[in-house]
Amino acid sequence: MTHIRRGLWAGLLAGLLLAMLNFVTDGTPGRTLPDVLHWFGITITDPTLSRFGGFFLLIILGGIAGIIFGIVQGKRIITISQALLSGLVLGLVWWVIFSLLANIMNHSSSPLNLQFGMFLATFPIDLLFGMVLGSIYYQLQDQPSLTAT
Amino acid sequence: MSVSSSANDRKQMAVTRSEETGITTPLTLSERSITGFALIRIFVGYLWFQQLFWKMPPDFAGLYSYIIRESQHTIIPGYGYILQHTFLTGCTSLYTTTGCTLYVPLAAGVWTAELIVALSLMFGLFTRFGAILGSVLAVQLYVGLAYTEWIWTYGMLVLLCLALATIPAGRRLGFDQWFAPRLQAAAHSNPLARFVSWFA
Repeated sequence: MTHIRRGLWAGLLAGLLLAMLNFVTDGTPGRTLPDVLHWFGITITDPTLSRFGGFFLLIILGGIAGIIFGIVQGKRIITISQALLSGLVLGLVWWVIFSLLANIMNHSSSPLNLQFGMFLATFPIDLLFGMVLGSIYYQLQDQPSLTAT
Repeated sequence: MSVSSSANDRKQMAVTRSEETGITTPLTLSERSITGFALIRIFVGYLWFQQLFWKMPPDFAGLYSYIIRESQHTIIPGYGYILQHTFLTGCTSLYTTTGCTLYVPLAAGVWTAELIVALSLMFGLFTRFGAILGSVLAVQLYVGLAYTEWIWTYGMLVLLCLALATIPAGRRLGFDQWFAPRLQAAAHSNPLARFVSWFA
């Protein structure tokens, strides 16, 4: 259970970072956060509530991704290179699901229609999310309070 | 006298002695401090990252009006002349890049440099190199645009990047955590690794 709990914490913290990055956008703060609700077909008419909803949903999704990350790592102690690499893979999977597939479902018929601007806006940030999650997971291995069962 | 107060006395004496002899006590960043700096690094990188989107390739049109402003309001004499004979060579309009011969390749250079700064700082990949490059770009913005906006706008950006150049902020939540010890180990026998290790 320890590795799953560690993954959950790492995912929640990385999700919080991702939500904060989505908040400090150019223009209206958090203007892209309602998109997170739209991934699941949820629409809230009040724009402020919609942004808050997207903010917290992103943190929850981060937590779920962290749990999956923890399950994949298992009980072994991972090195920093393993943590960073598997974090990047997680970020890539996150990008495929929430940027590429969501784009296909919402806007275009083919992944090849993804514009360069859209790719640049999403791909590095999703990889960053994965890398930070992996890095936090690695750091938490040293925390006695979380490693004790 | 209790044990703790004796320990405190010894610590105080050590500090006083080091002050008297002029020896600087080495400082070690705590885990929380370096993680805090790593978070600041990510947000500063994101700051640079966001600014790529209003001057996107292939024409980099968004940058043009800023180059014009820099050429008109620079605080260093002669800098406007340099811009007019590099970025603005052949340009015939104040609003569009019509006739410009060197604008697109030079603007591509600026855009690429900003992308490198953004990726370096966000991913903690040779962070100090990214921070130094960011400082250079920010100084250029300060020179050209300081008087057209709040005077400290670009000054703060220079200071932020300089601060990140002095701290190994990529060694937490970044790739430098993997690179730095390996480069430092190789630095004993390899001069190139010694040079590169400073940037991680």
